[in-house]
Amino acid sequence: MSEYQDFLQERDRLDFMIQQGYSIKNIIENLSGAFVELENKEGEKETLQILTPDGRKYFSVLLLKQQKTGAL
Amino acid sequence: MADLRINLAGIQSPNPFWLASAPPTNSGYQVQRAFEAGWGGAVWKTLGDPILNVSSRFAAVSFNGQKVAGFNNIELITDRPLEVNLKEIYETKKKFPNHAIIASLMVEPKQEKWHEIVKRVEDVGVDGLELNFGCPHGMAERGMGAASGQVPELVQKQTYWVKEVAKTPVIVKLTPNITDITVTAEAAVEGGADAISMINTINSLAAVDIDTWDTVPHVGGKGAHGGYCGPAVKPIALHMVGECARNPRINVPISGIGGISNWQNAVEFMLMGATGVQVCTAAMHHGFRIVEDMIEGLNNYLDEKGIASVSELVGKSVQKYSDWGDLDLNYKIVARINNDTCINCNKCHIACEDTSHQCIDMLKDESGKGYLKVREEDCVGCNLCSIVCPVDGAIDMVEVKSGLPPMTWNERQAALGILACGVDPVTK
Repeated sequence: MSEYQDFLQERDRLDFMIQQGYSIKNIIENLSGAFVELENKEGEKETLQILTPDGRKYFSVLLLKQQKTGAL
Repeated sequence: MADLRINLAGIQSPNPFWLASAPPTNSGYQVQRAFEAGWGGAVWKTLGDPILNVSSRFAAVSFNGQKVAGFNNIELITDRPLEVNLKEIYETKKKFPNHAIIASLMVEPKQEKWHEIVKRVEDVGVDGLELNFGCPHGMAERGMGAASGQVPELVQKQTYWVKEVAKTPVIVKLTPNITDITVTAEAAVEGGADAISMINTINSLAAVDIDTWDTVPHVGGKGAHGGYCGPAVKPIALHMVGECARNPRINVPISGIGGISNWQNAVEFMLMGATGVQVCTAAMHHGFRIVEDMIEGLNNYLDEKGIASVSELVGKSVQKYSDWGDLDLNYKIVARINNDTCINCNKCHIACEDTSHQCIDMLKDESGKGYLKVREEDCVGCNLCSIVCPVDGAIDMVEVKSGLPPMTWNERQAALGILACGVDPVTK
């Protein structure tokens, strides 16, 4: 599978979480990639590991949007 | 006909093409020949206490049939007495009053030495001075040239000493043999420099003869490092000019030097902030008359662009030269192969498959004929395929919309920082 397909999967997972009312609460980046911690209004938490560079760009755009508008 | 005249810190010349301080400007005979050919100015080969030279002195690096892709020399400053040079400078200036003659100078880092040579040189009517803080070989072993040019305090102090007595504009010529040339450029400005020039030559050893095991060049079987110049150093020089041009603390004109071989190269340096350019290797390779093509080409370029004066070019690309952290991470280009033009040599496929991102497929059409196709979703837009392609127009790099807004690394990192601090930027 190409890296692009991996990215599409990561993007879908991020979009799904946002659609479910989650917002980004923390991001940890290390040698294993990035771990995006999300939380909804009920306090439920989810963590997504993002491996592709395009995926890391994508959640960064989501984060900037979240910080700019207060919503995703 | 566009106006090609330039004014570099008060030094005027009929066009932006000067000969750099080097073997082509060793004597009045040569400089007068150069002016007759059309050069707008000449920086006289460095004056100082006459030195002794060795034989041999030059070496060139050829690459894939291109002669003099790079040029290496171990020749030192002038080996003729100051009086002889001054007499010839005076005569040349008298014959060519509208051409710029700049005296390159190098003496020991002592105030009285600089005062003496500046006064004597200015007495014969030079248009400006260029302080040689860049020569990397020979003189550097004696504490001059690059040896003092690598120490910001010495650059500042010596520039200041010159400015104490100089009546003509002072250009400080900088060495590239330093990690960050803006540090010494700033030191020159702090010392009072009216302009800076860059780059002098880069420490180099041209080659080793694999039969005799001698260095190239060698002097009776022994070698020493030289200074590298010519087309190979142009990207290094252009970067250094750009770095200085975009530094707000370096607010003096720049004379661009380093591998300039044609009018196109000169335009690049001027766009990146140089007020004029200096040329050496190209003249040594092809003779003084190359300036005819340079003048004609530059003039035609300006006319085609509708630009009245060459000075309008200066610095126009500087704002486009930034830091990596300010580049848009979401800008995307991909390669597209034009199969009508492609000769199916497969060089792009091999380059991509072996050394890049494995996104050029070798396919066959219905008739069994081979063709190449880029999987655009996997292409990172690295340019390698178009770089190695031997056919002009066979591969285009085209912009595709990523669907994402512009975002730089610096913006991204700032956003991550805000998140880590727990600050809500909307309510704050």
